[in-house]
Amino acid sequence: MLKRAPLLLHAALFLLTGRDACADLVVVANPKSGIERLKRQEVIYLFMGRWRQLPSGTEAHPVDLGNDSTERAEFYRQLVNKEPSEIKAYWSRLVFSGGSRPPYTAESREELIRLISSMPGAIGYIERSQVDSRLRIVFELSGSP
Amino acid sequence: MPSLIDRFRKQDRKREQSGTFLALLAVLFSLSGPAQAEGESEIADKRFEFGGFGTLGVAQTDSNDAQFIRDQSQAKGIGKTPSAKLDSLLGLQVYFRATDSLELVTQAITRYGPQGNFQPDISWAFAKYALIPNNLTLRVGRMGTEFYMLADSRHVGYSYLTVRPPVDFFGELAFHYVDGFDLVGTLPVGDGVLKLKTFAGQSNEVAPIGKEIFSLRRNPMYGAYLDYQQGNWQWRATYAQMTFKHDLPAPVSSLQEQLAAVGASTAARAIALTNTTSRFYSAGGVYDRGPLQVQAMLSYTAHESHIYQNTKAGYLIGGYRLGEFTPFLGYSWSKSKSKELSSGLPDIPFHDLNVALAGALARVHTDQHTWSLGTRWDFRRNMALKAQVDMIRGKPESIFLYPTSTPKFDGKLNVFSLALDFVF
Repeated sequence: MLKRAPLLLHAALFLLTGRDACADLVVVANPKSGIERLKRQEVIYLFMGRWRQLPSGTEAHPVDLGNDSTERAEFYRQLVNKEPSEIKAYWSRLVFSGGSRPPYTAESREELIRLISSMPGAIGYIERSQVDSRLRIVFELSGSP
Repeated sequence: MPSLIDRFRKQDRKREQSGTFLALLAVLFSLSGPAQAEGESEIADKRFEFGGFGTLGVAQTDSNDAQFIRDQSQAKGIGKTPSAKLDSLLGLQVYFRATDSLELVTQAITRYGPQGNFQPDISWAFAKYALIPNNLTLRVGRMGTEFYMLADSRHVGYSYLTVRPPVDFFGELAFHYVDGFDLVGTLPVGDGVLKLKTFAGQSNEVAPIGKEIFSLRRNPMYGAYLDYQQGNWQWRATYAQMTFKHDLPAPVSSLQEQLAAVGASTAARAIALTNTTSRFYSAGGVYDRGPLQVQAMLSYTAHESHIYQNTKAGYLIGGYRLGEFTPFLGYSWSKSKSKELSSGLPDIPFHDLNVALAGALARVHTDQHTWSLGTRWDFRRNMALKAQVDMIRGKPESIFLYPTSTPKFDGKLNVFSLALDFVF
């Protein structure tokens, strides 16, 4: 039941907004991260600051793309069905109550790729077409449980 | 631990020392900081961050028979005249990442508070040290109180749906921060994340009582919570307590003296606060899934002193996002139980004293519920506009949450609010 929920949400989002929610985003990690795949729940925990450790035990460093990037808005829509304002509200609560901090924001896709390829614990999201051998796909947003 | 608390007592007397203390901590911990990998240092390079939050709010009620306040820390409430003092505030935060394990945070806030003005206050100044990365974190300094779930972010309007946290629930609190330390353990359990937090310290705030100031300074505070977050759910059970080190100011203090002077020492002792403890129990749950958010909380507060009444309170708020708008509906209530206390003095010649005692006990009674209806509008980045109507329905004797009310007050109050929340 839980596993099917994201698919249903995804379908609902598409039907409700007519927005092309199918931008083909993937979550990528360093090939030396020690992880092959992540579950949706694990990706949510890492990016929402609930748990900052990869299943391999490596300290996780989630990396966001800039506020203006379409990938960022689309990533959180597909991951948790939240709009950028809701994600900001979520982090405002944590930041201004002394809780965990939001992911580091990369200035560009190039910086994101560079960070992930140089840090075993870095994790980010990117269009599938931009993935190269320096990155390992650990989660696919479209249709992944 | 006494040595730690002693250290903070000194800090209270000499505020300027706190900067030195934190800087010293920073130096100590930076010496033990681990060597960083190449990419890591790049992320860690972002050492300083400035940020802030604020609310410009206007609210009014439909009655001048009782003044509506946001919580017990506000000196005066609002009536039929639109007022910006209830909800408007501004907070600034400086964040410094000293090492991978050590963060320093200072936050100042200006809002309408106990002194009846917008005098700024350092709401937080703490060092946060990861004893075991991801698993165990120690914070030392001044931190927000988490007497209830979400209580430490109740000034950050942008972070929640309503104009203000439900007053039936959060309104009884007069304190916002604690000087001391907390320890947070985090552990993945099952599909979720389990968190256990304990804190200890002392209050250094004051609360207004009529025209007087009620000191909470050096009141010891302790507490703990257990939190479990799994999927769309978050659950939390909290216990916290405060022991008073001061009695209430006039008119209660003079009542105490008068009672003691005529031999009613049992009653005088019963309404004293010094060395009595108040205990706060609460449990809450949040369900957050895509456009839907629902949160509910229950609390029970028990006071050893007869000058406060034991209170049960709760609330339920649900909201659903529709495009840029998130309409919400809330229901909250609070009900306290009157405590029986007689002076034991004959009504002749002590009629006035008996009336004063009964009045002091009645002042803290609450028995009301509130329907809240409104919407949040995320009209542009980092800004939200909110409109809300609260319909408070209570017994005429439900006056604890209003610092002043006239005998004409019938327990009914409608509150109309507009707020612009922002973060930067």
